[in-house]
Amino acid sequence: MENPLHHFEVHNIIPIHIGGLDLSISNAVIAMWVGLALIGSMFVFPANRGLSLVPGKLQSVLEIAMEFIRNMVNEFIGEEEGKKYIPFIASLFLFILACNLIGMVPGSYTITCQIVVTGVFAVGIFVMTLIIGFSKHGLHFLGILIPPGIPKVLIPLMIPIEIISMVARPVSLSVRLFANMTAGHTILAVLFGLAMSSLMIGWLPFGFTVAINGLELAIAFIQAYIFTILTCVYIGDVIHLH
Amino acid sequence: MSKNSGFRQGVQLAFRLGTELTVATIVGGLMGYALDSFFGTKPWGLVVGVVFGVVAGCLGVYRVATKMNIEDEDTNKNLE
Repeated sequence: MENPLHHFEVHNIIPIHIGGLDLSISNAVIAMWVGLALIGSMFVFPANRGLSLVPGKLQSVLEIAMEFIRNMVNEFIGEEEGKKYIPFIASLFLFILACNLIGMVPGSYTITCQIVVTGVFAVGIFVMTLIIGFSKHGLHFLGILIPPGIPKVLIPLMIPIEIISMVARPVSLSVRLFANMTAGHTILAVLFGLAMSSLMIGWLPFGFTVAINGLELAIAFIQAYIFTILTCVYIGDVIHLH
Repeated sequence: MSKNSGFRQGVQLAFRLGTELTVATIVGGLMGYALDSFFGTKPWGLVVGVVFGVVAGCLGVYRVATKMNIEDEDTNKNLE
């Protein structure tokens, strides 16, 4: 039986080595490019070409997506402060969603199954929240480590706890996306392996793969949504400071 | 629309709470371990780190849960 983790392997398609750096174009890079091309052809180019007052099919999708993202930002960051973060949040959501959905095409590569990718997103967001916090509040930003309304005796105890919960945020953000996508795709691979292994009752696991495929499609949307909404929550926390 | 956003809120919380607790514990333990190898205080950093990590995880879950309660009461008031 084939290894169920086989489809997470990265293969170099066009090897490029420049001065000890491995800049090869692998199947992961190509999946990422396809994601970008999908967003570009569906969202960026139609929007640049000019929008009509009466929306067509593609423009309605675009407007619904933007409305959804704007509501999310308004709810967790705030209407006034949130305005300048909408482009970032929208590109984050659309890129993760596109990558998750590309992973659902058989034979393609799911880029969000690599903890390197989700980790870089999460660490970037963490550093960004720190920069926003320090530039907005100055040294008062360190007050985020002291929750309001606690007795002074507990402050030395609360600071390490708050530091741990701050550092746990990017870790849980990246691990959640990575683990959900990897687990779903592994289950699919195992079920397909079972379906291939015996012709007599192979239809049973094959039926399950159909159901799990539907579940995975929902998970792709939900995980992209959770990742972006938690980004909004973290940015909002840093802006409002309790 | 409001019903739909309630569903989304629930799904988001369901996926969030599970990882919050585990990851905080692991991060606390790792930080304690790192302090151990830095200062050479072999087991104590790990012990204290895990305890702080568990506390941080519980606190995070508690905060999310209390926020959820307040939102529930708000929607109840609107319904009445």
